[in-house]
Amino acid sequence: MAETNQNDDQAARLEKIASAWNSRALGLITELDLQIEKPELSGVVLRMPFNPNFCVDEEGSMLHGGILTALLDSAFGLANFLAIEDVQTMATIDLRVEYLRPAQSRADVMVFAECYRHTRHVAFNSGRVWFDTPDQPEVARGFAAFSIIRGEGGMMDKMNTKGPGG
Amino acid sequence: MSVKQLQEQCARVPFFRFLDFSILEAEENGILASMVQSDRHIGNPVIGAFHGGITASFMEGIASVLVSRNLDIKHPKPINLTIDYMRPALAGTLYARAAISRSGRRMASLETYAWQDNESKPVAKGRFHFLLV
Repeated sequence: MAETNQNDDQAARLEKIASAWNSRALGLITELDLQIEKPELSGVVLRMPFNPNFCVDEEGSMLHGGILTALLDSAFGLANFLAIEDVQTMATIDLRVEYLRPAQSRADVMVFAECYRHTRHVAFNSGRVWFDTPDQPEVARGFAAFSIIRGEGGMMDKMNTKGPGG
Repeated sequence: MSVKQLQEQCARVPFFRFLDFSILEAEENGILASMVQSDRHIGNPVIGAFHGGITASFMEGIASVLVSRNLDIKHPKPINLTIDYMRPALAGTLYARAAISRSGRRMASLETYAWQDNESKPVAKGRFHFLLV
């Protein structure tokens, strides 16, 4: 019974963070039109619809690598908010991205990001980016470390009161 | 290639129009550019900071422009990148410089850094590898 309550609390917490994330009123996350497919402690899966503004060519045949880097950085941030209970704010220490093949598709872009280890002050992340096509080609892989500042009244709470209707 | 020609070349890349940076100087082995913050660049709405991915994309963008110009490669293929974030990049203008640290027949390595008010206090540094073949 106690375990069920704990699971419910956890689910409510993940739901609250996911909803705060989705309602961000301005900024890049809104531009990317990210949708949360799976918000879990063990990792997040996000979907980004194809957008010709993020391409290298006018024909819109290939995404610029930079947008995949931005996508990974965003997903790592969300993964940390989900995985660590009392994050007040965080800052990226460093970020590494490997471009595994040209991002040549108009399919939705999927990203998986996990916080695979966190200590009191640091979170370690890894992630993968692929296209939502039948063979799911992996286009990028990323790693990051974040500096974590713990405390009450985190960034997610503040954002929730900033957005429209928040 | 002049600053104006480089800028025209950048204007043909949709993602560079999205970032909306300007090339300020183009020297033999370096490029200086600026990017004024818009809402769409923001990563942390609480403090109004540039998104780390936008800072990275800005530096990657000017690095690829430099490779393209100096080595006469139309589409340099990015292999990988590493970014160190040193300070928050707040509202206002972000400047960045890119320089080629080594270029061979198959690959080029570049270094970039970005700053706001004081060039000796960078907000981020980047290292990039491009495939030239």
